[in-house]
Parts: sequence; structure tokens; C-alpha cells
Amino acid sequence: MLAISTSHLSKTYTSGFRGKRQVNALQDFSLEVESGQIFSLLGPNGAGKTTFIKILLSLTRQTGGSATILDHDVSDVQARVKTGYLPENHRYPGYLTGEQVLRSFGPLSEVTGPLLQSRTTTLLELVGLKDWRNVKVKKYSKGMMQRLGLAQAMINDPDLLFLDEPTDGVDPVGRAEIRDLLRNLKTRGKTIFLNSHLLSEVEMISDRVAILDKGQLLRVGTVDELTTSGERHHIGIDGVLPEAFRLEAAAKVIEFSQSQSSLTVDVGSIAELNALIDMLRRHHVPIVSIAKERSTLEESFLSLIKREVAS
Amino acid sequence: MKLLALIRLTLRELAAKATIIILAAISTIVLLGLAAAFSTNVTPDGMMLQLFGQQASPVMPEEQLITAIRSMQAGLAGGLFTGIILFGIFATAGVIPDALEKGTVDLYLSKPIARWELLLGKYLGALVAIFVNVLYFMVGAWLIFGLKCHLWDFQILLATLTITFMFACLYAIVAFLAVLTRNTAVSIILVYLYLFVVGPLLHNREATLYLISENTVYRSIVDGFYYVFPQLDAMRASGAKQLLAQEMDWKPFVQSLLSASVFFFGGAVMLKRRDF
Repeated sequence: MLAISTSHLSKTYTSGFRGKRQVNALQDFSLEVESGQIFSLLGPNGAGKTTFIKILLSLTRQTGGSATILDHDVSDVQARVKTGYLPENHRYPGYLTGEQVLRSFGPLSEVTGPLLQSRTTTLLELVGLKDWRNVKVKKYSKGMMQRLGLAQAMINDPDLLFLDEPTDGVDPVGRAEIRDLLRNLKTRGKTIFLNSHLLSEVEMISDRVAILDKGQLLRVGTVDELTTSGERHHIGIDGVLPEAFRLEAAAKVIEFSQSQSSLTVDVGSIAELNALIDMLRRHHVPIVSIAKERSTLEESFLSLIKREVAS
Repeated sequence: MKLLALIRLTLRELAAKATIIILAAISTIVLLGLAAAFSTNVTPDGMMLQLFGQQASPVMPEEQLITAIRSMQAGLAGGLFTGIILFGIFATAGVIPDALEKGTVDLYLSKPIARWELLLGKYLGALVAIFVNVLYFMVGAWLIFGLKCHLWDFQILLATLTITFMFACLYAIVAFLAVLTRNTAVSIILVYLYLFVVGPLLHNREATLYLISENTVYRSIVDGFYYVFPQLDAMRASGAKQLLAQEMDWKPFVQSLLSASVFFFGGAVMLKRRDF
């Protein structure tokens, strides 16, 4: 089942006299997110990430294309019955306590009565605000506000959770707790749509990632797919490469670079990789490890954005 | 249920703001003053009003005294209406712009509520706060007049509904302006401009705006504007008749209801089309 599906989605903001100034926040954006995944949307500032979430939650209307969440058109109010949202820079009324925030916003998500009471207690404990439940929100720190926002987003036990910079202002321990919480939600079949600048965190928990720039989808795939750079492999060896191996490799036009105890080689196929391994074995070179070269998500992201800027 | 939750949230918000509490405090002071100062005295020749134990009216028959008390009630209600307009608008004008602020509106609209529901919830929340304030004052005044003059006149309680209705009509304009401008200060300035300049000019157009030109098209436009807005002055005059136990003119109330509905509907349509 698809939690999110968009087809040729576009959004153009107009401003100025007679709408002469136009900004294309999203262009022909098609994306599908399966249920039960942690899906992250990455992109530089102004890439259109928040616009995309806002269209999905009907806070902003698309100018073209279509979008559904949980099999409902995004304009349908029912689409939001089983969704939760933690907006960036959310503002809760300062005169309410943490518990009052949940008890006030719960009924807006159709959660009332004893269920609301029990969820309020459970969620405040889950996000580590149990001891702060009766303290006014205006006294909360940024990190505590994020935790409260997270609890508020989960008050209706949503099937689809949108989180815009959920760990913003949260300390490292808190971030780890939030990551665990999201993983736990995933095991319960929930879909999490994450919008974050912290790429290392995204890398740790996401099943799939989409990279967006200037309103266009550049790449989408698993973290593995996005962080693997071609067929470059590192082969760890023990000892020195014999001259005979070098000569044979040169004769077979196999290019490699060597640094201390490893070879880095670009191979066209797995068969080529195996042929190289055979060659090393023939020359009695002990192989310690073989690993496909991968970059971090941040490196992949930056190189993709740089390529986009250059083109 | 969602509408009730919105009303409750709005009431909490207004309770957290000092202005609505100040309004209740002012009402309390006026009521206490009235209770301390006002009384009636029966003499062999008739009855008279007393202020702080001093004679404040000639001795008159009971019927005449009742009329005088009703006039006082009408004056009190008129004063309350002015107070409610001044303080009530000031206290509640921020309710809708605050809800539409970035960071807050996202929280509301990401819930399964329609935009018109959000507007209606906020509108009704402000209205309930004003209703409670007016009711508090009117019940207090009713009790004072009842206990001190033995005049248990239900008209004064009915005035609660009349004053709240007039406020509701005016607040529909505030709601419209709040969605249009998303700015509390601008909404207050514009509604006060209507209330103290445009409204009275339109109400007294024959003595004011008609003097500018005799052109029938111009005068029709002026008339059109008069009927577009709620007829507060006409309602106020009619409301005073209610307190004097005279027959009320319902026409300005019906026209104002239509006008307020148009303003509210206009605000809801604008809100529906807005991107956040």
C-alpha cells in the first residue's frame, strides 16, 4: 500500500503586481512512498521540501498535478484523520501546560475522553516530559518544545507521520531517543516522512531517501543506492604487490591505485572483479577484505547538488 | 466535538489575556457601585429614586418610577454596549490573526478540520467570551434592580442576547478583516474606523453624505453601502425600545444578520483559498 503518492505535482508562487513575479517551488514532482517506511526528503534551503509537505497536508494548494495520502486526495479532510505533523518552528500557546496542549489538540484529531487521557500520559512519558507535564509551555526549552511537538503529532496514533526537522534543538541523547522512537514506530507499521538537514541522522534511520533541488526530484532510492559510487572497490591485502602482478595487470589494462595495504579498482562487472581476485590469488597475494566503495549520504548529497549547480 | 475544542481553546486564550478579565472587573465595579448607590424609597405620596441615600428624583407614582428605572436600564445597556464594542473588539480581535500565524496555523490545519470550521470555532469562541461577560453584567443588574426596586424585568436579561447579537454582527467584519490582513492592529483600526466614522456617516447619510451631491446614482451607492454593513445604530435604537418595553423594529436585525453572514462567508472563502 502506498502511504504517499504524487503525480506531476507542481506549485508556483506568484507575487508582485498582477502576479508577475513567479517562483516554481515544485516542478513535475512525482513520488511514491510505501507504507511502513522511514522516508526522508533532502534538499538545500528553498528546494521545496516544506512546500511538498504543506501540499500533502493541504496547507498549500498545488497549481498542478495530483497527490494522495493514505488513499485519500490531499484536499479531503478525512486524509488527515490518521496523519500527524510536527511543523518546523511550531508555536504552542505559552499559557498552556504540556498536558493541556495534548488535551486541547487531541480533540481536533478526533481523540477524546479516556483514550485522550491515556494517550496524553503515555506520550508525555514516551518523549520524556512526564515531570514537566504541569509546567507552562512558555518555560520549555527548544528541545522540550520539539519533544512536545512530537507527542502532539502522535496523539491520534497516526499511520503517517510528517516530521519537519524533528531533532532541531534536541541534545544528542534526546536525538538518539527520537531515532529509537521512530524505529519503534516503523516496526509497528507506521510510515514516517522526514524532512531534516541532519544527513547523518537521516542516513542512520531512513529506508529510502529523495533528493530535491529547485523544486525538482534529482534522485530517489535506498540509502545504499545513494551512497554507493559506481563499481569502485577497495581490496585489502597483506604484504607487498609482486612486480609480476603489476606487469600482468598492465598487460590486461587493469587500472588500480595502491595505498599502503589496499588496492582501489574500478571494475565494469562482478566478473571483472572476480578475475582480479583470481589474479591476486595466483600471485599469492593474501586478501584481507573486499568492500564496495561508499560515500556518506552527505558526500553523495553534496556531489549531486554540485553537479546540478554545474549543469 | 472539534468545534467545541476550538471554542474551548479560544476561551483559554482569551482568559490568558488580561483584557477580557479587565472587562469583567470593570463590570463588577459598575455593578458594585450600582448596588451601593442605587435604591428606591416609598413615601406616603408615592415612590422616589435615591442615590447614596439622597433623593435623586421627585416623588412619583409607581408606574412613572418604573418607566424611569427602565430608562436607567436602557442607559446602562447602552453604556455596556459601548464598553463591549471598545474593550470586546480590542480583547478579541487578535483571536483569528493569532490562529493564522505561521507555526500556529500549521498545527490547526494539519488536523482533520475544515478551514471554515477553524474560522467558525475561533469566531464562536470570541462570541461566547463576550456573551458570558454581558450575561454576567446583565444578571447582576437584573438582581440589583429586582432586589432594590422589586422590578423583576426580564427585558434586561433579553438585552444580553441583543448586545451579543450586535457584537456578533460587528465581529463578522473583524473576522473578515482578520483573514484579509492577518494583522490584529490593522483589523482593529479598520473596524473602529467603520464604527466611529463610516457607520455613523452612513446611518445619518441624509444629514451628511447626501449633502455632497444630489446625484441619484451617488445617493444609491451611499444607500448600498449602508445596507452592506450591519446597522449597528439602528439596532441600538431598537434595543433601547426593548428595554423600555416598547415594540422593537426587527428589520435592522434581519438586515444585519444577512450582512454579517456575507462578511463571515467572505472571510471563509478567502481563508479556503489561502496558502500557508
